[in-house]
Amino acid sequence: MLKFAVLGLAFAVSAQAAMTKGFNQLFDAVVRIDVREVAFEDGAKRFSASIGSGVILSADGLILTNAHVASPRAVELSVTLASLERVSAKLVGWDHWTDLAVLQLDQAEIKRRGLKFTHAEFGDSNRLFVGQTVYAVGTPFGLTRTATRGIISNNNRYFEDSNGVNGYETGAFNTWLQTDAAINPGNSGGPLVTEDGKVIGISSRGYLGANNLGFAIPASTAMRVVQALVHDGVITRSYIGIVPSALQDLESFYALALNTGVLVGSVDPGSPAARVGLRAGDILLAINGAKVDGRFPEQLPPIQNLIASAPIGSPITLTIKRGPQTSDYTVVTEKLESRVGEEWVLEKWGLSVRKVSRTFARVNQLDDSTGVLVIGVQPGFPADVAGLSRGDIITKINQQPVASLEMIKGIHATYVAKPEPVLVEAQRNHQVSLYVLKP
Amino acid sequence: MNYRRLFLLFILTCAAGRAADLPTLWAERLKSVVAVEFYTETETERRPTVSYGTVIDRNGTIILPSIAVNPRMTPDQLKEFRVYRPGSSTGVPAVYLGQDALTGWHFVRVAESIRSELTPITVFAAKQDVEPAMAEEVWGIGLRNKDEDFTPYLLGSRIALVQSLPQRTAIALQEVAGPGLPVFNRAGEFIGLASSSFGQSFVQFSRMDRSGTPVILVNVEESSAFQVATEVLPYLGRVPTNVFGRPLAWLGADGLQPVDPEVAKFLHLESQSAVVVSDVLEDSPAEKAGMKARDIILAIDGKPLPRLKPDRVVVGYLDREVERRAPGSPMTLTVLRGEQKQELTVMLGDEPRLMSEAARKYFDRIGLTAREFVYGDAVGLRVKAKGATGVIAHFVKPNGPASVAGLRTDDWIKEIDGVEVTTFAAAAQKLGEIEADLQRAEFVMLVSRGGETAVLRVKLK
Repeated sequence: MLKFAVLGLAFAVSAQAAMTKGFNQLFDAVVRIDVREVAFEDGAKRFSASIGSGVILSADGLILTNAHVASPRAVELSVTLASLERVSAKLVGWDHWTDLAVLQLDQAEIKRRGLKFTHAEFGDSNRLFVGQTVYAVGTPFGLTRTATRGIISNNNRYFEDSNGVNGYETGAFNTWLQTDAAINPGNSGGPLVTEDGKVIGISSRGYLGANNLGFAIPASTAMRVVQALVHDGVITRSYIGIVPSALQDLESFYALALNTGVLVGSVDPGSPAARVGLRAGDILLAINGAKVDGRFPEQLPPIQNLIASAPIGSPITLTIKRGPQTSDYTVVTEKLESRVGEEWVLEKWGLSVRKVSRTFARVNQLDDSTGVLVIGVQPGFPADVAGLSRGDIITKINQQPVASLEMIKGIHATYVAKPEPVLVEAQRNHQVSLYVLKP
Repeated sequence: MNYRRLFLLFILTCAAGRAADLPTLWAERLKSVVAVEFYTETETERRPTVSYGTVIDRNGTIILPSIAVNPRMTPDQLKEFRVYRPGSSTGVPAVYLGQDALTGWHFVRVAESIRSELTPITVFAAKQDVEPAMAEEVWGIGLRNKDEDFTPYLLGSRIALVQSLPQRTAIALQEVAGPGLPVFNRAGEFIGLASSSFGQSFVQFSRMDRSGTPVILVNVEESSAFQVATEVLPYLGRVPTNVFGRPLAWLGADGLQPVDPEVAKFLHLESQSAVVVSDVLEDSPAEKAGMKARDIILAIDGKPLPRLKPDRVVVGYLDREVERRAPGSPMTLTVLRGEQKQELTVMLGDEPRLMSEAARKYFDRIGLTAREFVYGDAVGLRVKAKGATGVIAHFVKPNGPASVAGLRTDDWIKEIDGVEVTTFAAAAQKLGEIEADLQRAEFVMLVSRGGETAVLRVKLK
């Protein structure tokens, strides 16, 4: 009995020792990120500042953080190292779907100033068990290098959010780690680590108003994303237009064995899947011959990811059961686009716009992706005076279709050089109206 | 003696020039005014509604304002019409005749027994059409509620403004009559019919609701505006010949939006208005005449659209120009397409089957009223009407099985138990079978909402 207790103690001591070494190294790799961002809201260019966390991953200063911390809207990224020295960084790439972004420290500046830092290592997030002790490290509310402790509460949490990352979609292609380690605003982008300092997740969000319901992107997902962002700067995914949904207890209705297939909950109009005749209510049994099982919501992201990982423009064979019939459909994938298009502000008009994307057009039953969405107007400026408001979709300017953001920028530039009235055609809830922007 | 004669003469002259005293005018004109009560029956409720009506002829025909009936209701849901004279506690049965599309009025005809006690409003029409003048004194009748036997009371005010909306509408300083009831001048001549949408609102002094916002009371029983007599008298003959108010003229130019004066100026349309056509509906008379989405309508039968204030009113003007015509009659529209003016001759059609005309059936055990898919549904859902299948969930009983499964009002039911719903009859039969089968524990529906579809599982046990 006594021996056992001593052994237990010895184990505890060695774990403590490992933690000290590995954990300290990790702790020195965690950084604070100060971001200055531009936003094209209310018909003007506005700047805002925010704070997040990040973790250094390599000797050449690659930093992993959240997409909602550092996005292409960032105009200034300043990183505070463990040594409290500040270094500027640039964005390597971001991926709102997984809420991850990669930055790189300014190498020349590091060298010039002779700054030192350590980097962290990934752990295996697939081997986490519920109840395992984890630590969240980061800069909550600007309190640099704060560690909080908790356990893994769930290692396979599903949630999708159609505007979770600053208005962009997230969560369709990965599940999340749930922890009760305190995650506060500012922790975003910081690592979730095991006792030995291995990064097993990136802290991303918590439930507002809840206690200790924090979520992190698992390292298994993060590793893939980092690799792709470093290699290409972007992550491209394939799209076919089906929205899978969990079968839950509908198997008997569809005459299926348990743990077989996934329900096609919805098919986007005009999408590759719709074009080959797929319908809501179909059962997807296999993708390229590999059986899929979407009985529970947690099982949907890997299926989505399987489709998304196919090369763009490649054929995918879907085995579909409809009523008693089972047959194969071949769909050719398209590039996945966000609902949120590129934004800009036409300052002389006091008009903030966002390009209509194919996805936005589909969701809003527009004929095509012509046009820009008004996301803000500045009171008293020509757009506001003419009667345009947030939510209008500008489809034509001076009788010409608005095919691109460049086109509208061009007309704005002409207006700036020589202010003359401009005729705008816009629609709201499919109701078309005309407006005149006057100097 | 001479003086005496002169004095008499003076008094006589005065009496001829002056109208009768107000109590006399009041007593006579009260006979043109009634309260109308009816019941609206829905799937789960039976609710009384009281509206005010004006008597228009010797056959006991009464007009009610358009808001008297909820537009979601079909005529067969309106039951037990009864007409009450002011101050009376006994109602006399009446029948519902339907609604006229142009005026919006609902027509009711009361049983013979009290017709002799009623006076048509036409009796009080002025000899000549005279528009009410600014500051002119006007008065009308208000009616208390049923619990007070619809006791009549006097309302009066002065004219503040007369405007085309597009009907000539006089707005008074304060309430002049119950909505749907006549308004008179000092001489007792009928000068207009009180509008239903001009109830004034009041902020109740120092009263807040739970969320801290001031309590606003809307006076729906009295109106401060009225459509002038020339917008009323010529249309009293439009008594519907059927409850749906058919025939209904149809153009099929949808989403009409007015152009504002700045845009009109830009398009070189001085001193007139125009409307943009957002959509030209499938197989409509407008489409057949070659109208295109985004055409700008400039004139009807060569007459430019008037510049009315506010801008929006011109849309009502155009709608009324269609509604006052009969299906099959031609209408020439001048449109601006790009920079070109074009003349389109439209042969107005017959309005496609309305939602109020659509077949429907309530299934109590499922908690659902299924309604036939009509043309208007296709327009609202932005899908092709031709070949469209399915039925609409017209009513979903709160917390009933369909509601618990996630079905919502206006959802589009496309499949039931994995079988495509082709017609209303097929859907009704299928749902009827499911409902009748008491062994059934559940069934599945494929429904569409906002372009997205979902499979709903309805548990019956």
